[in-house]
Amino acid sequence: MAKRVIIVDDSRAVVATAELALDGLIQSGVIEFKSYLNPLELLNALENGSENFDLLISDVNMPEMNGLDLSRSIKSDERYKNKPIIILTTESSEQMKMTGKEIGVTGWMVKPFNDEKLVKSIKMILGV
Amino acid sequence: MKELRLLIVDDVEDNRLVLHAICRKIDALQIQEATDGLEAIEKTVNWHPHIILMDVMMPNLDGFEASKVIKQKFPDTIIMIITAVVDPQMEVNMASIGVNAYLHKPIDKELVRFKLQNFAALVRSKEGDYTQLSSKKTLNPFCNDVRHYKIIFDIVDSEGMMDFGVWLLTRCEHNPMMRCSKVDLVVELFYALMQQVLKEYNILSIIIEESFEEIFLTMQLPHAISLKPTLAIIVEDLQHQCVVQANIVCVRLFLQTPSTTPSYEAVSEPLSPVIEVSSIPENGKGDEEIVILSEEKTTRHIDATEKELLRQSFVAKTPALEYVNDIGGDVLDEIRDLESLDNEWSERLAILESEPSLENIKSFVDGVLGVYVRAINNLFEFTALAYALSSLGAFMKGDAETIIEDASKMKVLVMLTEHLGSDLRAWRQHIFELQDATDIHYLDSSFFSSCMQIEQIIGNQNIDSDHDSDMEFF
Repeated sequence: MAKRVIIVDDSRAVVATAELALDGLIQSGVIEFKSYLNPLELLNALENGSENFDLLISDVNMPEMNGLDLSRSIKSDERYKNKPIIILTTESSEQMKMTGKEIGVTGWMVKPFNDEKLVKSIKMILGV
Repeated sequence: MKELRLLIVDDVEDNRLVLHAICRKIDALQIQEATDGLEAIEKTVNWHPHIILMDVMMPNLDGFEASKVIKQKFPDTIIMIITAVVDPQMEVNMASIGVNAYLHKPIDKELVRFKLQNFAALVRSKEGDYTQLSSKKTLNPFCNDVRHYKIIFDIVDSEGMMDFGVWLLTRCEHNPMMRCSKVDLVVELFYALMQQVLKEYNILSIIIEESFEEIFLTMQLPHAISLKPTLAIIVEDLQHQCVVQANIVCVRLFLQTPSTTPSYEAVSEPLSPVIEVSSIPENGKGDEEIVILSEEKTTRHIDATEKELLRQSFVAKTPALEYVNDIGGDVLDEIRDLESLDNEWSERLAILESEPSLENIKSFVDGVLGVYVRAINNLFEFTALAYALSSLGAFMKGDAETIIEDASKMKVLVMLTEHLGSDLRAWRQHIFELQDATDIHYLDSSFFSSCMQIEQIIGNQNIDSDHDSDMEFF
């Protein structure tokens, strides 16, 4: 069964480039891909149970809500606390990574990302 | 590196002081000042500055008239106008006489520095300042048969020293075939030399050349240097691995043990093809110096300026509401006017996809991206956005032939660029219309990163910024 991968990023360009990078996994049915431009929308969908995921890829700087705050909220929900979240951002400060680690995110990758390394990491996390 | 001459022209002493302070941090610049247009012409005639920073409103002779005279007599002199006057007609007039850039006050030091560095690179490329770095001529005294690319570290401070040190150690770690029992000595030697030289001069360069079997680290000093006794001992210890000649110190590191028969096949891990993007032009050819050594994906390294823009962090978050209240006026109108470009953005892209041609690429780059860049530049706050759009435009023009020939590439490029347009529309809304963004810089780095990502996809490159591109697992 395809693993559900969600990306949340306010930038359509980032979403599109990530989708292109993951195209092989999507086309082969290994993953299904869904994107959200607004983190609040995703949070709402997760809270009311209309959305679920096997892996969440989140940006940090978004106008409506910071990706680390989003991750914190998701991780505080029993239903999602063990689900992997990776942060895909241009931010690379150690302090921010430390916050991510404390929240319980699985990994941190800086943009611009290397397609092959992103795919490899995702496959490793999902065990596919 | 050859020193360039920079003339600062402004009748207000405080402005000259600010510009002087900004420019002083740029390497290898000689700076003089003039207080009005007449003095600017006189100094240009006598001193031949490469670049002039020119105010407009000045007594005796204003910046426009002075620029006209200077451009007529010395068309290669680069003139950058820095003015408090917001006058689109003046901007057009300045462009018509050949002024190279037009910036508004208050002075955005990063933007001035960024533009200056670009212009300085341009001047140096025109003057063939880097001909000694031609791939046909090697710097190292050991071997003439080196690969067709070089990595260059222009080091001005301890951070640059660190960058070089990290690069060297990483290179050694990542190449199990590299055999140099004396890497520690090499690091010690180079660090001591860098410290010594930077105390006396502002800059030094380290150039890395590679053959199939060896790496050559050549430190080029401004002048011949006498080695301290401790360093002389290290050089002696390195024996045939190190040569000190006049203002050159060169060390060779073996990619495999010198006792084995050197052959390319013996190297289990061929070196990755590298594109040197640190804008060191060669023989005035600018970007054409990029040499791709493989049919496979090439590695796109992120240079220092790009890294700075990508990783820039704004400690104090400025809410959009506060920012817009502060700027107001004509600049704001100009940004709001960009709304009229939204349709054009999509239309010209659609034309480009249906009729791929150099002309249509130029029409989009100059007629849409260019207008955006000018408007964003006038805001001063969003250097990364302007830089990103300029880079993307340069990439599209530079790779035009390849893109035009490949319909699938064109389709992806158009699709991604359309998304960039949406991102900019959303950015305008969040910052200038709804004013609901808690941080006006929420998009900057991400947008720049997307533009690089597009270059990666269309240019068939792999992006690599040292270890930054690896996922860090917690």
